[in-house]
Amino acid sequence: MAVPELCALEKSLGLRQGHKYSSQGDNGTVPVLQSNNGPSLVGLTTIAAHLVKQAKKEQLLGSSAEEKAIVHQWLEYRVTQVDRPSSKEEIRTMLKDLNLYLEDKVYFVGMRFTLADILMYYGLHSIMADLSIQEKEKYENVSRWFCHIQNYPGIRQHLPNVVFIKNRLYTNVH
Amino acid sequence: MRLTVSAAGSPHCLKVLAAAEWCRATVEVHRAAPEERVVPFLTQPRLPVLQLESGTVLFSANAICQYFFTSLGGDLNDSSSQWLEWEARELQPAVLLALYSHVVQGKKLQDVLGTTRKMLAYMDHALSRGGTEYMTGDMESVVDIVLWGSLYHLLNDASFLPEEFGSLKRWLLKMNQLEHCRSAAESLLKSQGVAGLKAYLQKQPMPIVTSEMATSN
Repeated sequence: MAVPELCALEKSLGLRQGHKYSSQGDNGTVPVLQSNNGPSLVGLTTIAAHLVKQAKKEQLLGSSAEEKAIVHQWLEYRVTQVDRPSSKEEIRTMLKDLNLYLEDKVYFVGMRFTLADILMYYGLHSIMADLSIQEKEKYENVSRWFCHIQNYPGIRQHLPNVVFIKNRLYTNVH
Repeated sequence: MRLTVSAAGSPHCLKVLAAAEWCRATVEVHRAAPEERVVPFLTQPRLPVLQLESGTVLFSANAICQYFFTSLGGDLNDSSSQWLEWEARELQPAVLLALYSHVVQGKKLQDVLGTTRKMLAYMDHALSRGGTEYMTGDMESVVDIVLWGSLYHLLNDASFLPEEFGSLKRWLLKMNQLEHCRSAAESLLKSQGVAGLKAYLQKQPMPIVTSEMATSN
């Protein structure tokens, strides 16, 4: 699951492909980046940050201590919350929380597009694809953000487009 | 900056207090009940929380530690971010589960180490293989504080640590002696001890350990 995502990330970053990956953990959920010179790297966000540095796009990790910490926080959230097996109820709570967080933001780090947006987008893709039109309207800030990221140049890669309807169909969803 | 920690021994508060002191961060420390919702957008109460002047709210203990550290001009290399991710993904749930069995259900520490034992072995191996004083080298780093804070409640008495983990034991004893670690532990635990931790743990949903073990080769 994580390996195709990292391959998509490589492409979005414009990196020459050729990294070797394997995985470990239950159901092979934890990706490992194999290396010829030096130890291998383990973990989705660790490898993703490594690829970003390799592509010399460090701004995607945040430019100040504050931005770096926000990126770190949401990357951790991705691995510990989004990727955790959750009940329908827990998924709803997560979407509700994210919806509130994104209320006054364009990206996870305010006005700056970062790696947090990319990995949250990949992580939430299957959840968003499963939502009904009514639910997408209910979590309108998550939907707006998600729609924005999937249209961001080079990010969507192999993932199917999730359809959002521009005009509201339901008026009383709150 | 306003740092809110739990008034009842949340296991993640220790590392942020130690990191704040280590980095000499100017923080106003507040205490809140574990059920208090300090983060306006999260349904589940989370502590510790760092609120910055800009309005930014950090609710991840590791992100807070990283913030103190990078504010001094440091940056995380691959090895450090791998440790921090491992700690959040693998160690935290396993430690929480072990603490729950030990503190709430009253099982013996030796019997609850379970999955944690493999993780301790992983840390011990990293220390002995590298032959270094600290987890990522001969200088203390944010990784040491984060890992120490996670293990403290479980292993503050290092004599419980199985004999074979010699390097880990030496590291734990050294960390326990560091001024910022000692004073963080004292200020957080003096009034509540294990009872405070118990109150906190009883309110937590039982953690799910998703992965048996994931470590590098």
